[in-house]
Amino acid sequence: MKRVLIVCGTGVATSTVVADKVRKHLAAVGIEAKIEQTKVTELHRGAKGYDLVVATTQVPASVDAPVVKGLSFLTGMGVEETLAEIEQKLSD
Amino acid sequence: MESITSYITDLGAAVALPFIIFVFALVLRQGAGDSLRAALKVGIGFIGINLVIGLLANVVGPAARAMAENFGIELTVLDVGWPASAAIAFGTQVGALAIPVGLVVNVVMLGIGLTRTLDIDLWNYWHIAFSGALVAVATGSTIAGVAAAAVHMVIILALADWSQPLIEDYYGFDNVSLPHGTSVAYAVFAIPMNALFERIPGLRDWRADPESIQQRFGVLGESTVLGAVLGLIIGILGYGFDDPRADSIAILALAINLAAAMYLLPKMVAVLMEALIPISEGAQSLVRKRFPGRTVYIGLDSAIAIGAPAVIAVSLLLVPITLLLAVVLPGNRVLPLVDLATIPFIVCIMVPIFKGNLIRSLIGGTVAMAATLYISTGLAAMVTETSASVGFDSGEGATEISSLVDGGNPLSGLIVLAGRMGWAGLAILAVLGVAFAYLIKSMVSRRAEVEEEPAL
Repeated sequence: MKRVLIVCGTGVATSTVVADKVRKHLAAVGIEAKIEQTKVTELHRGAKGYDLVVATTQVPASVDAPVVKGLSFLTGMGVEETLAEIEQKLSD
Repeated sequence: MESITSYITDLGAAVALPFIIFVFALVLRQGAGDSLRAALKVGIGFIGINLVIGLLANVVGPAARAMAENFGIELTVLDVGWPASAAIAFGTQVGALAIPVGLVVNVVMLGIGLTRTLDIDLWNYWHIAFSGALVAVATGSTIAGVAAAAVHMVIILALADWSQPLIEDYYGFDNVSLPHGTSVAYAVFAIPMNALFERIPGLRDWRADPESIQQRFGVLGESTVLGAVLGLIIGILGYGFDDPRADSIAILALAINLAAAMYLLPKMVAVLMEALIPISEGAQSLVRKRFPGRTVYIGLDSAIAIGAPAVIAVSLLLVPITLLLAVVLPGNRVLPLVDLATIPFIVCIMVPIFKGNLIRSLIGGTVAMAATLYISTGLAAMVTETSASVGFDSGEGATEISSLVDGGNPLSGLIVLAGRMGWAGLAILAVLGVAFAYLIKSMVSRRAEVEEEPAL
C-alpha cells in the first residue's frame, strides 16, 4: 500500500480535484494507494511517511518525498504525462 | 407564487440545493445515479458546515461575549471563514444562478475581446455569489443581486488579465491567470503602496529571508495548533481563573472545540466540492469547446500560488498582526478565527506586486488586513442575515457572524455599497466596471504588441 499526499493552498479546493483524478487512475492501473489531502502550510516539518507528493503549488524544501507537479490536472493540458509520471514514481 | 418561495426558503439550502445540483448534473449528462449521489453529497456538505458553525457559535460566542465584558474587548462578531461564506453564498437564490451567469459574462467578454481569461475555476464563482447575495439582502431583489454578481465578474476578469504577467513572472505559470475573487481584489491596495515604497529609500532595499521565517513561525500555519492556542487565549481572557475547577474545564474545552472547528470546516467543504467536480468538469468542457485554440489565459484558483515561500512567510507573520489589529483598532468588532488560515489568499497577488520583498509585503499586508477587519465589521449584520436565510444556525444568543474572506473583501464592500444605493448605484458600478475592463484590455493589447516586436 503506497501513501500519496495531495497538496494545495487550502487542502480542499484544487487538491480535491487532483485527488479524485489520481485515485481513479491508480485504481484503473491496479496500484493500491491511500490518498490524503493537506494544505501546504501544514508541511513545514516535511511529509514523513509518504511515498509521493502531488502538489499544485510549490512545496517547502523540507519535503524529501518525490514531488510531482499537479498543475496539469487543473489546466487540462498534459494530464496523461503527469499520470504516467505518478505511476512510474510509485513503481520505483 | 409567494407560497412556493416561502416553501423553498423553509426547506433550507441543505435540502433545496441538492435538487438544483441534481438537475444541473442531469443537464450535463452525468447519468441519474451519479447525479443523485452528487446532489446528496452537496446536502451532506451543507449539513456538516451547519453543524460546525453551530459549534463555533455555541462554544466561542459566549467566551467572546465574556471577554467583551471583562476587558472591554468588543470582538463579538465571529469570523466563520471562507468555507462557511462559500456555502452561504451558494445556498442563496443568487448563488444558484451565479455559475451560469458568471460563465455567460465570461463567454461574452471573451467573444467581444474584453478579456483574455477563461475562468474554469467554477468553484470560486462563490465570490460573485457572495457579493450578489448580500446585495439581494440589502435591496430585497434577487435580480439586483444577480446584476451585482455579473458586475463583480467583469471586475475580477479585468484584474486577472492585468495581473497575469506578474503571476507568470513570479510563479512561473504560463498562460495561467488567477481570477480569484479574494486574491485579485487586494491588487488595488498593493499597486499604489508599491509605488510609494519605491520612493522611500530605506524601505526600498530592506530585505528578509522567507525560508527562515517559514521554519520559525511554521506552526502558525497549522490550523489545529493555531485553533487550540487561540481557544486557550480567548478562554483565559473570557472566563478568568476565579473558579479553578470550572474555569479550567471551560478553557480547555474551548481550546479543543476551536481546534476542531478550524480543522473540520474545510473538510466539510471538501465534501461539497467532491460532489461539484463532475458538474464543474462538464461545464468546463462545454465552454472549452467554444474556444478551441484561441489564445486565452486559463483562469485557475490562486490556491496554486500559496506555496511560494514569501507568500507563506508573510501570511504566518500576519496571523499575530491581524489578531493584534483586531484588538487595538477602534471600532473593529470581528474576532479573527477561521480565516487566519486564509491570509495566504489575501496576499498572494500582493507579494508579486511587491516583487517578493518581505518587508514591503508585510507593511502592505498589515494595511490590507486593517481594511479587511473594518469591511468585515461593516458587512457583519448583512452576512448574519444572509446566513440565517439559508438556514445556518448561528447558535444561542444570536451570535453575529462574518468572515475575513470574503466578508472583509474590498470588492465585496464596494459592490454592497453600490447595491445599497439601489439600481442607480449598481448602474454606475456597471458602467465603471466595463470602463475599467476596457482600460485593462487596451493595456493588455499594448503589452502584447511590445512582446511581439522582434528583439534587435
